[in-house]
Amino acid sequence: MDQNNSIPAFQGLASPQGAMTPGVPIFSPMMPYGSGLTPQPVQNTNSLSILEEQQRQQQQQQAQQANAGLPGTSGQTPQLYHSQTVAGSTTTALPGNTPLYNTPLTPMTPITPATPASESSGIVPQLQNIVSTVNLGCKLDLKTIALRARNAEYNPKRFAAVIMRIREPRTTALIFSSGKMVCTGAKSEEQSRLAARKYARVVQKLGFPAKFLDFKIQNMVGSCDVKFPIRLEGLVLTHQQFSSYEPELFPGLIYRMIKPRIVLLIFVSGKVVLTGAKVRAEIYEAFENIYPILKGFRKTT
Amino acid sequence: MAYQLYRNTTLGNSLQESLDELIQTQQITPQLALQVLLQFDKAINTALANRVRNRVNFRGSLNTYRFCDNVWTFVLNDVEFREVTDLVKVDKVKIVACDGKRHTEYK
Repeated sequence: MDQNNSIPAFQGLASPQGAMTPGVPIFSPMMPYGSGLTPQPVQNTNSLSILEEQQRQQQQQQAQQANAGLPGTSGQTPQLYHSQTVAGSTTTALPGNTPLYNTPLTPMTPITPATPASESSGIVPQLQNIVSTVNLGCKLDLKTIALRARNAEYNPKRFAAVIMRIREPRTTALIFSSGKMVCTGAKSEEQSRLAARKYARVVQKLGFPAKFLDFKIQNMVGSCDVKFPIRLEGLVLTHQQFSSYEPELFPGLIYRMIKPRIVLLIFVSGKVVLTGAKVRAEIYEAFENIYPILKGFRKTT
Repeated sequence: MAYQLYRNTTLGNSLQESLDELIQTQQITPQLALQVLLQFDKAINTALANRVRNRVNFRGSLNTYRFCDNVWTFVLNDVEFREVTDLVKVDKVKIVACDGKRHTEYK
């Protein structure tokens, strides 16, 4: 009903516009019992048990959807991707975004009014690199690891960590003697977590009491192509507070978007690189923000 | 003090076996055998560095690698060793490599 291809990431969150029931800060026609976090209209009798079960169902549904590997089209809720994988460190995922079923009890109140003018680009940035960290929770003897593990490099004179690689998912890990580890090179959040777990298992098999504490995605990089050439000079003139363009230093324009806090490298060819995201949604949001601006600076010759 | 890398080669192993036999029959002392091996290390290192001129190319797929104590260890699969004259194919080869230009000595 309100699906006109804009990211409905904020559907059902804090948009009281159109809510017909006063006093209910979050109300969506597709959430009969709501998220359980806000006061609800008096419809439920055994509220506690139903809400708990509903939250569990929603989490399972989110798990299924995340595991089914839904493509990150701009018409889907991007928060689903990390709500399952990153335990406790998500910033935005709220249970209850997934509609369970429509009941006749709930009036069809439109939440997001139809956005005028701008349509979505139809282009989805592809994730190219994910950097994550995890704490294995115990001190490690790097020389033992380098001597016994496969595909490991250790040159303490140059760098104080073991550099280990695995083939599936194709990633590289930096393992420090404190027990902390950095995992780079994965193409998705789930792959990054899986790879980090594989490294932890390697370390564990070598005899260290490795745990898997505080896994956190630190950076995500995406790229895409707008398929038309761009007038970087024009862009830097109008958006000079955000842009820096030194063609003699680097051929791309560096655009530092404030909201979301993402850095974009924009090239004359129309290729765009987005980096600095902690969650996938930030990449998508940043691209949707920049696309109309880029369209305005399309090269016509 | 040159690399003792070459003691575990056909030549080096033959030398070590012969020295062990001589020690068994009390013809030389173990200390002398050790000196012989040290001299062997020096000789083989300088010989390979100065008297070997031919070049061999090899190509294969990398199974594992390791770098520790400035020593590279590779295991390659399905390798072809190619010299101008001939070609040798092997399923598996282990390569242990020490630094050619080094500042400190390593055993």
